[in-house]
Amino acid sequence: MLWIFPGQPLHRESPLPDDDDFLAIARLCRERCGYDLVSHQALSAHGLSPHTMLQVYGVAMSLYRSRKLRHDGLHPDLIAEHSLGVYAALAACDSIGEGDALELVCRIGSSMAGMGQRQPYALGCPIGIDRGVVEQAAAEAGVFVANYNTSGHFLLAGVATGIEAALAACQAAGAFSVSQFPCEAPLHTPLMAELAGELAAIVADYCFQEPAIPLLEHIGQTRLSAAIIPAFLVTELQQPVYWEQTWQTVRTIGFNRCIEVGSGQALTKFNRWIDSEVCR
Amino acid sequence: MSDELIPKVKQMIIDALRIEGMSPDEIDDDAPLFGEGLGLDSIDALQLVVAMEKDFGVVVPDAATGSKVFASVRAMAAYIAEHRQ
Repeated sequence: MLWIFPGQPLHRESPLPDDDDFLAIARLCRERCGYDLVSHQALSAHGLSPHTMLQVYGVAMSLYRSRKLRHDGLHPDLIAEHSLGVYAALAACDSIGEGDALELVCRIGSSMAGMGQRQPYALGCPIGIDRGVVEQAAAEAGVFVANYNTSGHFLLAGVATGIEAALAACQAAGAFSVSQFPCEAPLHTPLMAELAGELAAIVADYCFQEPAIPLLEHIGQTRLSAAIIPAFLVTELQQPVYWEQTWQTVRTIGFNRCIEVGSGQALTKFNRWIDSEVCR
Repeated sequence: MSDELIPKVKQMIIDALRIEGMSPDEIDDDAPLFGEGLGLDSIDALQLVVAMEKDFGVVVPDAATGSKVFASVRAMAAYIAEHRQ
């Protein structure tokens, strides 16, 4: 069985669970991040940005679902991750503890939030258009393709005005839909290099164990080892997420049973699209 | 005329979106497909666009058209009846 860990959710689920596992994760959120999972509020006077809280929420929900699955007697043979999903995935394969995963994403999110105070960034989502058109539109607008989710679903990241221009070009070229979202940092682009030193220092505060379950990463579809995890957590933010290739790799390995471990069903829907193209 | 298409449209939705454990009868003819209804999103919309073209030869060119077409199963059936060859 394969467990897949999704990236940052766009919004919170409602209603939230209230069982013992959820309450345990909520306690960890309070203790390690100063974040109240139930009210979605920061506890400290310094506060957390809305994006950082959503990132912690996303990891928290993945950790909660992992616990529930294990309590139901389900265990993964392989784990794959998409973007922010890597933190909960590391906990799921016992490379780091749940508290460390939450604290790590909170610290990295808070660090990235500073970028948004210096420059307005945005994400753009063109759907139903070819990869080549998206790449050209992004290049001409000075932004980057941050996620290659399927053959028709992409995420762009960069300066807000550039995202707007790239999406307009995609729309003019026949995209089925385009949408833009504010963000604090241009995730999965080379622009994140300016934060690399700061992020590396944060990551260095944690000790990563060898994954007890194979963990497939989203860039080159290789298995992460304890030795390369710290560098991966810094460099992956500067490179695109290649989910389509990741899912195709999983299929090639031979996995057919898959559970999405987190908030929403985005990866499951991407996988459905990728699988359907094989049949078309 | 378009009402005759409704069962086929419901089956297409179930097949295209791989909705497990749901029969066509459980989908309301007039309930919204997105948001509160079946809870579909833009990823689902593109999957339905492809399915409509494959099964009925009908093209939904953009999201603006899609928002009207995918308002309900009945709206989808009406659009297909109006546009198919």
